[in-house]
Amino acid sequence: MPIFKTPFNGYAVKFSPFYEHRLAVATSQNFGILGNGRLHVLDLSPGGPITEFASFDTADGVYDISWSETHDSLIIAAVADGSVKLYDLALPITSNPIRSLQEHARETHSVDYNTVRKDSFLSSSWDDTIKLWTIDRPTSVRTFKEHTYCVYAAAWNPRHGDVFASASGDCTARIWDVREPGSTMILPAHEFEILSCDWNKYDDCIIATASVDKSIKVWDVRNYRMPIAVLNGHGYAVRKVKFSPHRGSVIASCSYDMTVCLWDYMVEDALIGRYDHHTEFAVGVDMSVLVEGLLASTGWDELVYVWQHGTDPRAP
Amino acid sequence: MERAIERQRVLLQHLHPSSTYSSLENLDSSLSASICLAGDSAAYHRSSNFGDDVVIVAAYRTALCKSKRGGFKDTYPDDLLAPVLRALIEKTKLNPAEVGDIVVGTVLAPGSQRASECRMAAFYAGFPETVPVRTVNRQCSSGLQAVADVAAAIKAGFYDIGIGAGLESMTTNPMAWEGSVNPRVKTMVDAQNCLLPMGVTSENVAHRFGVTRQEQDQAAVESHRKAAAATASGKFKDEIIPVNTKIVDPKTGDEKPVTISVDDGIRPNTTAADLAKLKPVFKKDGTTTAGNSSQVSDGAGAVLLMKRSVAMQRGLPILGVFRTFAAVGVDPAIMGVGPAVAIPAAVKSAGLELDDIDLFEINEAFASQFEYCRKKLELDPEKINVNGGAMAIGHPLGATGARCVATLLHEMKRRGRDCRFGVVSMCIGTGMGAAAVFERGDSCDELCNARKIETNNLLSKDAR
Repeated sequence: MPIFKTPFNGYAVKFSPFYEHRLAVATSQNFGILGNGRLHVLDLSPGGPITEFASFDTADGVYDISWSETHDSLIIAAVADGSVKLYDLALPITSNPIRSLQEHARETHSVDYNTVRKDSFLSSSWDDTIKLWTIDRPTSVRTFKEHTYCVYAAAWNPRHGDVFASASGDCTARIWDVREPGSTMILPAHEFEILSCDWNKYDDCIIATASVDKSIKVWDVRNYRMPIAVLNGHGYAVRKVKFSPHRGSVIASCSYDMTVCLWDYMVEDALIGRYDHHTEFAVGVDMSVLVEGLLASTGWDELVYVWQHGTDPRAP
Repeated sequence: MERAIERQRVLLQHLHPSSTYSSLENLDSSLSASICLAGDSAAYHRSSNFGDDVVIVAAYRTALCKSKRGGFKDTYPDDLLAPVLRALIEKTKLNPAEVGDIVVGTVLAPGSQRASECRMAAFYAGFPETVPVRTVNRQCSSGLQAVADVAAAIKAGFYDIGIGAGLESMTTNPMAWEGSVNPRVKTMVDAQNCLLPMGVTSENVAHRFGVTRQEQDQAAVESHRKAAAATASGKFKDEIIPVNTKIVDPKTGDEKPVTISVDDGIRPNTTAADLAKLKPVFKKDGTTTAGNSSQVSDGAGAVLLMKRSVAMQRGLPILGVFRTFAAVGVDPAIMGVGPAVAIPAAVKSAGLELDDIDLFEINEAFASQFEYCRKKLELDPEKINVNGGAMAIGHPLGATGARCVATLLHEMKRRGRDCRFGVVSMCIGTGMGAAAVFERGDSCDELCNARKIETNNLLSKDAR
């Protein structure tokens, strides 16, 4: 039952860290190649359908979103025109976005809100840079420019408020400390473009990277010569990877092979779940922090699914 | 545009690694960008769904029964309409008070009396007094006209939710002319031709365009065969609402309660040889017989339309999108050619081409005009009336449009995403034709391959 049809193609989905029934979805017209975008805020109701709480239109596709960790109504959006936009659900549509930060020269592809210091967020862009922003400043605090191709993702370390990782099409993942002038570590993690990365929520030294080579690799940043685990099983490029907030070794991923997979990298048969409910590229996946095992995914088939791990997302 | 090409290039790289390594031996490098092969005209945008689209969330009909002899011979017309109206609100759990208007296409009954009967049917169906009702009469396309009227009113913003329906009891109201004919009719050929019996116009079509008796009989056989197959496989169960009524035994006068849920005009064993024995009805050396004409029937249908945004808010399934409607005029003497003119008009105004249409419901008033229209438009027989047509199922004039919409949309739903556009069309007595284009609702697939969750336990108890 919990299926929501978006008018545009899905790009990302994120559960609210404040309300267990709320999630935000980033969508883009025409597969994000040309046209408008729309940011949806959706509400789950017990036993009922998914309803739309609010939606905001943008002039270009919305590629990613991130909820604020301090205000339950604040959402940050990565927009394909290079801007980063702030939305406040508490304000009427006409007053939104409350801020539009236009600095990236090309498509902004990801945003991530700092969960430790809760005052800042990152944006990564196809202009090869990552920018650090704070809520109260109209311009970016810092620009990190080392990657030589699109930066598809940047993710804060869940324990150290100054440390983050980035994933780029230049086939490297980099670890950064905002107190340092340059990156603190370069991880040549894959031989093909890296599309996503995420930190283990229980071990601040472990990151996962997802690549066009169809694999997910799990690394210990203290010893990066060999990955701890290589998760093979996707049939095409892996678009997003996400560590479980509830179980340290569980990873969710979605791929151009249209599936969403769940992995446990500590066990031998790592693939613990495969969902083939999408009929186009699956490009967005998230796990609820507030409800264990609750998953959400979106894809280019214009559908948003919310389901409990172990059940069929399509079940009515 | 450059930006779009650049974006496409970046995304394509994700599927098409630039270099090859031996460790990735099974990398499929055959992927490339190509022009969409879906077959839909470029003018029509792929994801053209908007909140203000008029969508159909439910479409039902009664069984169609032979007039005077069939299952509804002792059923009052309002008792035919009420069950389908009630089904719309019961199956969608819609609050009936939210319906902005009920428009009923109905042809033969006296205007004011039928309007009253429809209003009463709405009460029987459980609608409150606040919901208005009106009738519309465009002869054989009245049901489709009713649906189009509601779609137009929703587009115009008169209301967000409406019902287009159709009703005809040809038992209660046989075709007849009341009063005398104005003698002035003799002065104008077109006006005079409006008085021709429909069967004569069928003979005219057959004669003028050379549709043979064999072709017509064969079309009737096909119609019965397809309708029988659809009934046998239970396809009509999705769209037919069973009606509890009574049947009076003509000899003993005993009343018997019955539930009618199957079309009773379909003859599965019809053969061309049987039909060839029938005598022409309208012309001595003619070709139109009782076997290759539509059946005289009783029945009703109803379609629930609303704005897409309203349907999505309520989580209602979207059966189809109402795209365009066209009514056209043709020579009254060959009124059956109507669809051949109306279909291209409706398809064109949807920004499509005939090739884009995956499914047709073209009313089989007579095999002659049906065959003519099919040949004239060069349509693939595999795409037309795949579950039979009026020659087998019946043609209760005012209800046919709504019946066709229900049949078309349920078939499109069964066929899945391959079947994107459908057309309903019919010819209209006195020389007209009407057609409407529907698009599938995309997210309307009922996912029957999944395990059912008994209770939705996505949220913790605290959230309830």
